[in-house]
Amino acid sequence: MKLVAMLAAALIAVAAQAQDTIKIGVITDRVGVSKPYSEPATEGMVFGANEINKKGGVLGRRLELLVEDDQSKPDVSAALARKLIDQGAVFILSVSLSPATQQQQTVTMEAKTPQMTPMNSADYLTTQLDNPYFWQTGPLGSVQIATLLAHAKKQNLKRVALITDNSDLGQAIGKAFRGGLEKAAMQVVDEEVVPLGATSATPQMQKIRAANPDAMFVAGVVTATNVLIFKAYRELGLKFPIHASYNLSVPIYMTAAKGLVNGITFVDAYDPDKPEVKAFEATYRKETGKEPANLHGYGYDGIMLVAEAIKKAGSTDKEKIRAAMQSLTYGGVMGAKGMKYHFPEGKRTGFDPNGMVVRVYEGDRQGRVVHVGQQ
Amino acid sequence: MKSENPLALRATPLIRGAGAFIVLAGAAFFMGDYHNDVYRKLLLWVTLALGYNFLFGVCGQVAFSHFAFYGIGAYSIVIFLFQLHLPFPLAAICGIALCIAFALAVAIPSTRLEGFYLALVTLALGQLFIVVLNEGGTVTGGTGGIANYRLPEIYGLRLRGPWYTAVIALLVVATYAVLVRLDRSWFGRACRAVRDNPEAAAAMGVDVARTKVIAFTLTSVLAGIGGMVYAFVDNTVNPPIFGIENAFLLLFMVIVGGAGRHAGAVIGAVLLFLLPFWLSPLVGHHHALVFGVLVVAAILLEPRGLIGIYDRVADRYKGSPSR
Repeated sequence: MKLVAMLAAALIAVAAQAQDTIKIGVITDRVGVSKPYSEPATEGMVFGANEINKKGGVLGRRLELLVEDDQSKPDVSAALARKLIDQGAVFILSVSLSPATQQQQTVTMEAKTPQMTPMNSADYLTTQLDNPYFWQTGPLGSVQIATLLAHAKKQNLKRVALITDNSDLGQAIGKAFRGGLEKAAMQVVDEEVVPLGATSATPQMQKIRAANPDAMFVAGVVTATNVLIFKAYRELGLKFPIHASYNLSVPIYMTAAKGLVNGITFVDAYDPDKPEVKAFEATYRKETGKEPANLHGYGYDGIMLVAEAIKKAGSTDKEKIRAAMQSLTYGGVMGAKGMKYHFPEGKRTGFDPNGMVVRVYEGDRQGRVVHVGQQ
Repeated sequence: MKSENPLALRATPLIRGAGAFIVLAGAAFFMGDYHNDVYRKLLLWVTLALGYNFLFGVCGQVAFSHFAFYGIGAYSIVIFLFQLHLPFPLAAICGIALCIAFALAVAIPSTRLEGFYLALVTLALGQLFIVVLNEGGTVTGGTGGIANYRLPEIYGLRLRGPWYTAVIALLVVATYAVLVRLDRSWFGRACRAVRDNPEAAAAMGVDVARTKVIAFTLTSVLAGIGGMVYAFVDNTVNPPIFGIENAFLLLFMVIVGGAGRHAGAVIGAVLLFLLPFWLSPLVGHHHALVFGVLVVAAILLEPRGLIGIYDRVADRYKGSPSR
């Protein structure tokens, strides 16, 4: 009889503990095309949630992350959003592919559940649907390009070359680069495409050498193809500067392109000299024994913003969280020094358009900031 | 044995179909939102697998354009309804007409091709379709696709939740009925003859080219209708859904289930669609690896497809040696 009573008490305790958590849904990609971006961001989120829980949680309750893998499939992603809402998630964080995040929105809008992407950069995420329950704090694609071009403008470039790969995203970024360069009165003297699966980019780089540009812009997003471009650049002994998209901010280039990236400038949302970044990196190293990168910062900021919103709402009521999130101002790890996320005049994009930076590779390491914002 | 009442015989498939519809649609009313959503998408995959099985398994055409037609159906209904503001029935008819036009445009020149070359042409079509979607500007919505629309009201009713699942269940049953009926007709026999030996089929009076064109167009239109229904499942259409990797998954579904067998296509679609959902909570991100191993094992151990297991069990039960 005693045993039964003890078991019942234990069950009640477990149930009470389970009830006590605040459930946050996370939709990530562990096997699909977004995995290289999604996994570090998710690790940053888990680290952030642990940090919050160690300090007593939010409103005296622990944060419980419910992590789901959508394989970057938008239809699966929307189904998982429903699953998380059914399981009691009061907020959903999306770090998968942009179209997947978009498809989740059709569910969160209907279920009136707050959702945020701390990482996706597609401009359409807050413009296609008028979803008051959705926010985007990843820097917009248009802001990334404008920041890189602002830096390029300062170099007084007249004749530039453009190179990309034939992936959908590579083509889209290439198109945006071309438009921006022409608008900035820079003449695109040569434009090359390295197809996926190529074993060399030397022919393309020879053509660019013949065009004799002042600088070259790399819009490609496929690591293997970009490595071929940098290899050919070194082998041909070319000297013009290279300016690259945010894809070069992915830490893999520090190992995959060893000896090839020194001097390349790239757009990023991470300033290693920022006090918040230094504190984050030190704690992350200490707690996990691993080296953090910018992508971890996106996830970390995401969970911190959610925690702040719930704290400000003083409740797990979704409508109160929505209102709190919309009026939130928060300084996180990402962005230039002093940048704060905020959503002015009902806007749902929280990353300051002047909050991006341009950094330079120093040796094989992602180095200092050489330019800030769009001016 | 012949029935004394021929009407009873004729009514049987109708009753079976109605029964299947009631079971498939009724199940949706006992599910929560999440399970209903997964179920809706599963039924759509079953519809696609049934159509593709007829094209690949019954008619022997290796094509990778099925998902492109699924996409043409989905995008066309949305564009016709919400950009050109056509009434719903007219938008649906225009969508079907577009699928027929595209299918004929691919199928007629492709009658000169077979096997590997048809696969290449349709592979190119599938990739070209994604490029068109991504570069389609405001018409296709570019990489973000089209969102912010809802299924229009029909006679003052807007179908949603399990009621919309019932529409998809009706589509599955109707697709199955049409394809089984066709398979058992002279056209089905002609398709199988063309698949097994086109020269012999031609010698027996089968118009090989016409048979191929009809099979390709019919299954492509069925995929297009599936796409029209899909467009209102999440009220958004975007390019990754109609990507070429899904065309390969469809091929695996038919092969794993049992090419040329309608039940095999259903088994393959159910298994391969649901496997990641089952495996992910059990083995985490290793589910992709386990999924691959299971698919390879199924193909190696059961070359006739998983339906072969059912055949063996059924043969043993009936006492006959083998099929």
